[in-house]
Amino acid sequence: MRQSRLSKAALAACGVLLALVILLPFLWALSASLQTELALFRRPPNWTPNPPSLENYLYVFTGQVPHAYAARGLLRSPITQEARLLPIGLMNSLEVALSVVALNLLLGTLASYTFARERFRGREAAYVFILGSRLLPAMAVAIPIFLIIKTLDLLDTKLGLVLIYSAFTLPFTIWVLTLYFRSLPKDIEEAALVDGCNRLGALRHVVLPLAAPGLAAIAAFSFLFSYDEFVFALLITSSTASKTVPVMIAAISVNPDASYTLIAVGIVVSVLVPIGLAIVFRRFITSGLVASMGRT
Amino acid sequence: MSARTDAKSIWAARGAGSSTAYRLATLTPVLVLVAVFTLFPFAFAAVTSTRQMLLTLPDQTPFIGLQNYVDVLRDASTQNAIRNSLVFTLLTVPCVTVLGLAVALLLNQQIRGFGILRALVLLPWAIPLVSAGIIWRLLLHGDFGALNGLLLQLGAVHGYVPWLSSPSTAMYSVVVAHIWREFPLPAILFLAGLQLIPGEVVDASRVDGAGVWARFRNITLPYLKAPLLIVLIYETMISVSVFDLVYVLTGGGPGSSTTLFAWDAYATTFTFLNLGQGAALSFIMAAFLLVLIVAYLRIVRVDEGEA
Repeated sequence: MRQSRLSKAALAACGVLLALVILLPFLWALSASLQTELALFRRPPNWTPNPPSLENYLYVFTGQVPHAYAARGLLRSPITQEARLLPIGLMNSLEVALSVVALNLLLGTLASYTFARERFRGREAAYVFILGSRLLPAMAVAIPIFLIIKTLDLLDTKLGLVLIYSAFTLPFTIWVLTLYFRSLPKDIEEAALVDGCNRLGALRHVVLPLAAPGLAAIAAFSFLFSYDEFVFALLITSSTASKTVPVMIAAISVNPDASYTLIAVGIVVSVLVPIGLAIVFRRFITSGLVASMGRT
Repeated sequence: MSARTDAKSIWAARGAGSSTAYRLATLTPVLVLVAVFTLFPFAFAAVTSTRQMLLTLPDQTPFIGLQNYVDVLRDASTQNAIRNSLVFTLLTVPCVTVLGLAVALLLNQQIRGFGILRALVLLPWAIPLVSAGIIWRLLLHGDFGALNGLLLQLGAVHGYVPWLSSPSTAMYSVVVAHIWREFPLPAILFLAGLQLIPGEVVDASRVDGAGVWARFRNITLPYLKAPLLIVLIYETMISVSVFDLVYVLTGGGPGSSTTLFAWDAYATTFTFLNLGQGAALSFIMAAFLLVLIVAYLRIVRVDEGEA
């Protein structure tokens, strides 16, 4: 009994360590974003903001220049105009990600239902083709896709991003949803068909309500993929018309003149939405991941 | 038997909307999108890679066969990139896998408060890769990095160490950031595998006096074979194609010490504006990954057949 209590304590300690490894990097970004540039440059730095200041956030969202930057002197940090574009980038990111989710829910559901319930020639080939393509990492085809988008005259448009992201998320969606639809009992659908529902009616009234957890999972995945994606966004966006958050914060962070506190603000602003989503959709994300990575 | 035939005829009935037109209407949009953005780029890269295509000479794109491949493979910078990617992959994949397994074994324990931990573990994976990279930039930076501050406070260093801009540590910095970002996915997959192990089997072996290591080897590991293979292949693909982290952490430098393969392809195309060679590089990468994809699909589908 004693020993088991001891080993429980050891495991709990490991758990605390894991939580620290995950959380401390986030907390440091948060702390840095609430400090002034000078405080951040102390060696060692202030670990907690003293006192915390929202001035960096005010600058990003209202344009009010923080006091610390107004003071002239050798240590005065340059200020990054680009940081002021973050709110626009956030809107672009949300618009693109939500459009991709909508396309996944619409096209993905229809195609998956056909794969799950219909038998026809070429089904297997089409299925394997779609499944295989979902694994192709972006960078491997990024350069040709850049040229295609250029040919389609869709450079620097949100539509261009939506199309690319849909092409990369739909295979995943179809994999998850086809498995999901297949696991549902056929009887209820058959009853609906006998009652005079057509195929789409059965899908809408019978299948979709039952598949709600699967739909939640693919909505979360396609949102996170689109919101997080960087390579394509970097290649095809060039102005505030389509730049997304990752492109903007990457530009700020590699700019040698950028203020580090504003970089920290960029991190915090960029992670809030995915963190909220990951926590709210945790169960669906986990079960969807497990289902989609094969029957583990 | 007759009930089954009835059901079949219901599904086949034209009135139920099951027609070739219905199938075409539901599948075509997806197939077209996927083909345009995966199959076509693949072919496009193949064709481009056989031409001399310099953005500086847009009107002259003669066919030069496999010359681009010969050139890039002979090029010292490609060889360096391949070597770096190999080192990176050999460092990250085992670490991510072992760490993921360890975390899964930990999270599988029934301890109060671990529910929260299972939610937290998703966070590094859910945020943009770029954000994860910048977070580590804040931690490892040579002028104001938190790690330097901590080490200084502990007396482990006398001055700040430029982790990201010194050739001997830059690669390890990218490796550490990558591991922090990537371990959640294997952890979740392994955890799901662990939860499939029947409790009775574990209890029985415990009664039989099997030690912790024996239980792990003879019971846990066999159950985790499928997820293990999947994690190894998937993480290899991720490590081979890593780009975002390099972009925000080191920009391929210092010198070319963190120039990984994907970065090299990017730089060839967009810095040196050599589309032909860039396409050759991305085609080499895509072909390599395709081999892994086929292996992956085989494992998953075989696994599905058994289930």
